[in-house]
Amino acid sequence: MDLETTPTHNTLPFRAADFSNLAEALDYAAQGETGCNFYTGRGEVYAVLSYARLRQEARILARRFLGLELERGARVALIAETHPDFLRFFFACQYAGLVPVPLPIPISLGGHEAYVAHLRSMLTSCNASVGVSAAGFLPYLEEAAEGLDMAFVGDPVDFENFPESQQALRPLESDELAYIQYTSGSTRFPRGVMITQETVLDNLAGIIKHGLKMVPGDRYVSWLPFYHDMGFVGLVLVPVTSQVSVDYLGTREFAMRPRQWLSLMSKTKATISFGPPFGYELVERCIRAGEASKLDLSAWRIAGVGAEMIRSEPLLRFAKALEPSGFDPKAFLACYGMAECSLAISFAPLNTGLQVDRIDADHLAKCHEAREVPGGNKEDLSPRTRSFVVCGTPLPGFEVEIRDQEGNALPERHSGTIYLRGPSVMSGYFNEPEITRRTLSADGWLNTGDIGYRLDGQLVITGREKDLIIINGRNIWPQDLEYLAEQQPEVRTGDALAFSAPGPGGKETTVMVVQCRKKDPAVQACLVSRLKQRVRSELGIDCYVELVPLHTLPRTSSGKLSRSKARQNFIEAHDWETQTAAAGDQ
Amino acid sequence: MKQYQEILDALYEVLKPFASEANQRLNEETQLVADLDIDSVRLLELLMEIEDHLDISIPLNRLPDINTVRDLAVSLQELSE
Repeated sequence: MDLETTPTHNTLPFRAADFSNLAEALDYAAQGETGCNFYTGRGEVYAVLSYARLRQEARILARRFLGLELERGARVALIAETHPDFLRFFFACQYAGLVPVPLPIPISLGGHEAYVAHLRSMLTSCNASVGVSAAGFLPYLEEAAEGLDMAFVGDPVDFENFPESQQALRPLESDELAYIQYTSGSTRFPRGVMITQETVLDNLAGIIKHGLKMVPGDRYVSWLPFYHDMGFVGLVLVPVTSQVSVDYLGTREFAMRPRQWLSLMSKTKATISFGPPFGYELVERCIRAGEASKLDLSAWRIAGVGAEMIRSEPLLRFAKALEPSGFDPKAFLACYGMAECSLAISFAPLNTGLQVDRIDADHLAKCHEAREVPGGNKEDLSPRTRSFVVCGTPLPGFEVEIRDQEGNALPERHSGTIYLRGPSVMSGYFNEPEITRRTLSADGWLNTGDIGYRLDGQLVITGREKDLIIINGRNIWPQDLEYLAEQQPEVRTGDALAFSAPGPGGKETTVMVVQCRKKDPAVQACLVSRLKQRVRSELGIDCYVELVPLHTLPRTSSGKLSRSKARQNFIEAHDWETQTAAAGDQ
Repeated sequence: MKQYQEILDALYEVLKPFASEANQRLNEETQLVADLDIDSVRLLELLMEIEDHLDISIPLNRLPDINTVRDLAVSLQELSE
């Protein structure tokens, strides 16, 4: 029998995150009837957690935390499975004056050591006092915590035996941290984004009031992982701070049965859901003929798209396939954001669908200017064009500048690095003053590392500055790939450069170019396959490996290896983007 | 509880298409990632096939310790208990 899920309509007057801290936001939501519901991969409800119960249970847990006598603001690492316990512990920290740190879960075969090393690097980086994981991942967490000075590492069940302190709870206040969010899958360079209560609440209010213009009667569905900024801030904290109900499907369950996302949307008549583009693609590929007409997606008013570069074609195929369900392509909402800004930076206007800017690609590459190419004549192949999805207007609190390499502000349609300033921007990277200084200037400007241009007040993202690789919404640092290569006996430090390139059909693909000393084709083939395997088991992604002769990796004028030049050379030599899917196979 | 051999045989059935695509013969030592090219997308296909054919759901926390066909079969046998 299905449990009774929390209702869509609330008895409580709607408030848009106008709270001074997250605990106060939950206190308010707890006065209503809404909450979260958790579904199995087969679409059955296995847990219902109203905000009222979440508050009650989080406060009991908070009292148990107090018994551990940790200093205020101590870090509590939480393995963030899609499960009610994550929410209980996250909010227990809020009430107990402790800072929660969500930690990721791997979805790949093998890689035990790599995962443990990754966890350990984050525990060390945030100097965690407590680590909590459900039984399944606890052995990894315990292994990662070995020898570290931590007050407690264990299972949520262990807390049942802890006494409840009688001290009054003193929740985290507006100028204290709300959480620390690790942004990348990087093992060697974990970066913990520090977000205070007022920072995240500013962003949440912006999302709720301006980005999504939420109304009573909205309901969410999410399959995004809780350790991901969009999954966590966008689809856990937004529902709590706007008092709406949300239905959760585990990420693995979604990935195995993508259609479950739609069934759930249809069943609960949810109005808002988000996903990276590949999520929509995954669904579109497995929709069978006749299936769409059995679904009712007419209530779906916002189908948010973000977390990686957006290409419109797969989304339009998704919309086409789901036409019989009443899905409205105008529901697509392109957005842009990053953990360093809490989550959201800009949203496209509502109810307009995807807007595409078609520009002269050669002119953009040469002159950094996005010159519009009028549509129409498809026969005309010159100039070479590229289409970019317009990612919308920045939320009201943000100042935006597009700067060239010398730091000068650029006018409309000129592409450069996107800089942002405003009350949603992080305080810095935890315990990393040097990296913080390089990213966030003393007067508050954040270097996003993204490249883009402005168009009628909206932002268009065209790429990323040099380094970061984003595959299926995950951030991958090229240093991690290069490190794997350098660990092979045939490869030395400085022999490998990794980057992403538009692959066949424009899909982002990871590439690593490696200098090889060996000439024997059998030895070379062995190195390529070994590297591909290592990358797959350590980082869970596919990588195209190209071997090149010694001394052929490009360098900058100052003699440093240049990823951006290597990338440019590679793209020019392969021209994958215009080829068919088979070309990128290795 | 199912017998190990029974599970192994069923697993060989499920893995056949992966093996023929990668042009590999299957035995207990076969490496899933290195020999059969099972990346994260194919992994999800594999997990689904296993659920459909063996009616066993592999929790994510098992994956980091599964390298070979034998590891997978042992895991499935434990889960079928």
